[in-house]
Amino acid sequence: MKMALPVLRREATGTPEAPFVRLSALWIQLTGTWCNLECTHCLNASGPRDPWLAPLDGAAARRAIAEAERLGVKEIYLTGGEPFLHRDIVPLLELSLAVAPTTVLTNGTLITEAMADALAALAQAAAYSLEIRVSLDDVDPDLNDRVRGPGAWGKAVRTVRRLNARGLVPIVTATEILDAERPTATGTYQRFRDFLLAEGVRKPRIKILPVFGVGRLEGRDTERLTEAALEGFDRAQLQCAETRVIAADGVYACPILAGQRGARLSDGGLEASFRPAPLYHPACLTCHQTGMTCRNA
Amino acid sequence: MPERLSEYRRIAVFGGVYSNAPALRAALDDARRRDVDALFCLGDLGGFGPHPDRVYPLLRQAGVHVLQGNYDESLASGRADCACGYTDPRDNHFARVSYAYTFTHTSPDNRAWLGTLPRHRRVRLGERRVLMCHGSPRLVNEFLWESSTPSGLLRTLLREGEADVLLCTHTGIKWHRALDGGAHAANVGVLGRPENDGTTRVWYTILTAGPDLAVEFVPVPYDFETQAREMEAEGLPAEFVETIRTGWWTTCLENLPAKERARGKF
Repeated sequence: MKMALPVLRREATGTPEAPFVRLSALWIQLTGTWCNLECTHCLNASGPRDPWLAPLDGAAARRAIAEAERLGVKEIYLTGGEPFLHRDIVPLLELSLAVAPTTVLTNGTLITEAMADALAALAQAAAYSLEIRVSLDDVDPDLNDRVRGPGAWGKAVRTVRRLNARGLVPIVTATEILDAERPTATGTYQRFRDFLLAEGVRKPRIKILPVFGVGRLEGRDTERLTEAALEGFDRAQLQCAETRVIAADGVYACPILAGQRGARLSDGGLEASFRPAPLYHPACLTCHQTGMTCRNA
Repeated sequence: MPERLSEYRRIAVFGGVYSNAPALRAALDDARRRDVDALFCLGDLGGFGPHPDRVYPLLRQAGVHVLQGNYDESLASGRADCACGYTDPRDNHFARVSYAYTFTHTSPDNRAWLGTLPRHRRVRLGERRVLMCHGSPRLVNEFLWESSTPSGLLRTLLREGEADVLLCTHTGIKWHRALDGGAHAANVGVLGRPENDGTTRVWYTILTAGPDLAVEFVPVPYDFETQAREMEAEGLPAEFVETIRTGWWTTCLENLPAKERARGKF
């Protein structure tokens, strides 16, 4: 005789949840985990071979943008993988910028002079801001490339110069992955600020992210959030309370957990994902402890 | 029964005062000459400038209707920081300096008064229902910049707030957008510091009822040199003083979206 499997209720497992408060930020997992680099600390283990999370087709991205507009979204992010591998990146940015301020997260290795011109034209024509986040993990080429791969530093820094020359004020995004090798008094932020100013970037914009035990570092952290740890904390302040992520296989609450089965909230539409998000992953603990946000500020 | 709203024909609305008594005095004098029915301030009385207690009697004597901003809420509740929400360590450093000075130099009575202020105010301007707030109707410290606030979001905020006109401040740079159906949204600017345009003037807003709502941004020249000298005498950061004298923002730049950041000097 076949026995039905018991359905575990969330409260029975003790996994805390974050409420859904509103849709402020829509993230579009445009290229899934397809990337031309293979960084040692990549949050979703992206790389050039057989992405485990498929890219999103242009039509699905356009539908998500239209739905988010109807729902009063405040800002849109395009990420991956490397979004500039997507053949529709420029028209999608144009469409998104017609709806809301839009940020694209890039490793900066594929932005040629021609692409920089196209981005400058988009930014100039749009009513809303185009934000370009360029990842760089150290101001030192050797250290950076040890994490991000040979040649990555040179290409990314050239992109920063190209964007800066066009008045596009990129946000350089760094992780703290190399902090242990930088025991000097100058913190990561100041090091990047000094570097960018020396590069002639008069309006340096820097975002520092903690290192997460997820993606290529999955398993590094094992501790998880508990109800007790969240006692007295306003969970509406967690970014998953007002963020949703459209990926090829569904909708998620967290950009760095997109594609992870335990994080999926909906198989289809955005509105169906407007329900509490489980804080089940060790990355949720890092997010809570550091107070970080994947958003620009 | 629906709330009965005060009705006006023409109002003046100020944003963050940031302890800039000379600018507030100049703006109040200017507004009185412009035949307004009422004066409103959307909060953040302290921070940045010197002698925070000097702005309170000016506001009270002029009968200004004041809302509570995030800075006011922090001061009233004895919070350890201004709740400005910076993550950039440089911005946080200056925010801490400014908040510590303001907290220490704001009298307990004034801090208690800040705690009594409302977060929102509704009035009627002719036929239009006006909703006033500090950051946004949903969050006191939400930044509504011109280039980062979609019209779809504004329509949502107006629908949820059952209003035709939304007025906010908090960012420090004014803007106005006319929306479908005669609705409007405006950031009224601030009096406390210039708006990162290389001039020393500050701004407030006059709204006049009519078939088409008139939104007028009013520049306020004031004695900025006195303000700068008093900031120096109080030992406030040279970076703040530079902003007062040059009109360029030197700190708290993290939250500026790309378009607004690109227009500034730093």
